[in-house]
Amino acid sequence: MTTATNTVQANSESNVWEGGQAPFGVKYGKLMMWYFLLSDAFTFAAFLISYGAIRFTVGQDIWPEPNRVFDAFPVLGHGYPLLFVSLMTFILILSSVFMVRAVQEGHQMNKKGVILWLGFTILGGIAFLSCQAWEWAHLIHNGMTMTSPITYEIGGHGSGAVFVGPLAFGQLFFTITGFHGFHVTTGVVINTIVFLNVVFGTYEKKKNYDMVEKVGLYWHFVDLVWVFVFLGFYLL
Amino acid sequence: MILSDQEYQMHKAAVWRATIILSVVTTVEVGIALLYDTFFHESGFRMALAVFMIMATLVKAYYIVAVFMHLKYERKAMAITILMPIMFLIWLLIALLMEGVSWHQMIEFYG
Repeated sequence: MTTATNTVQANSESNVWEGGQAPFGVKYGKLMMWYFLLSDAFTFAAFLISYGAIRFTVGQDIWPEPNRVFDAFPVLGHGYPLLFVSLMTFILILSSVFMVRAVQEGHQMNKKGVILWLGFTILGGIAFLSCQAWEWAHLIHNGMTMTSPITYEIGGHGSGAVFVGPLAFGQLFFTITGFHGFHVTTGVVINTIVFLNVVFGTYEKKKNYDMVEKVGLYWHFVDLVWVFVFLGFYLL
Repeated sequence: MILSDQEYQMHKAAVWRATIILSVVTTVEVGIALLYDTFFHESGFRMALAVFMIMATLVKAYYIVAVFMHLKYERKAMAITILMPIMFLIWLLIALLMEGVSWHQMIEFYG
């Protein structure tokens, strides 16, 4: 089959499944990244749905208030509910936006643009991980671990009345945000590898920046999962 | 596929628009979450706000998948193969949350 007939067939959607061309109009690497992300979505969904089932089993009355659990900010101390996690969310969303810009510059074959925006993306990822490390260290320091439950003073600091939450809260928090953080970590590593390839001109020689697009999909997925983790742990 | 300058500017504008929507929705969500403690103790109110939070999160998820991950611009058949299996998760979510309520009632009943 000549290239000319190929192009004609690709334009008519009716015989797109008759062979000789990509029916979805994308390269197989990108398609497989999508299906990998679909399977990963099932893993995260299993985590988050278990979280929901256990939370409903325990009951709302003895489930910790997110505003009380997550109310610390570095240097400022306690009394700033959800401020730090909001900052983390904005860092991750911005990092995702930078990644979109990197993919767009890749389509334009603009090497300098890809280096700039992918660089910002990686810095955003590292900033997010640093924030998460601080949050974990803070919670563990305050006594919430996999084996000891979350506690906080009910009427604010100095009131004396102590609320003791279920052990499952900390266990779910550390496994789910931990699994998400593991994804961010691998994302940062893979982004860095692709960044080095861009710098060394590997994709310029290949005449396409498809690899940036594929790691871009992974990075957006990490952001997408965070939106749902944010909903489950901090907003509801 | 190098885009024309006009198309490139259009794609760029779509991304910045999605960014602004994501930021505004997140800010509103956090603002409302802060009110839980102070103003809304009745469970009915909480339920309504929870529904709002889930809706707002789905709006954010739409913009990330459609604009950032570019799925809006892919062929429909491909989008369907990715989104259809997700539908099963909605069923799993409803089933297990109802199960959670049932476990809670059993614990209350049998002690």
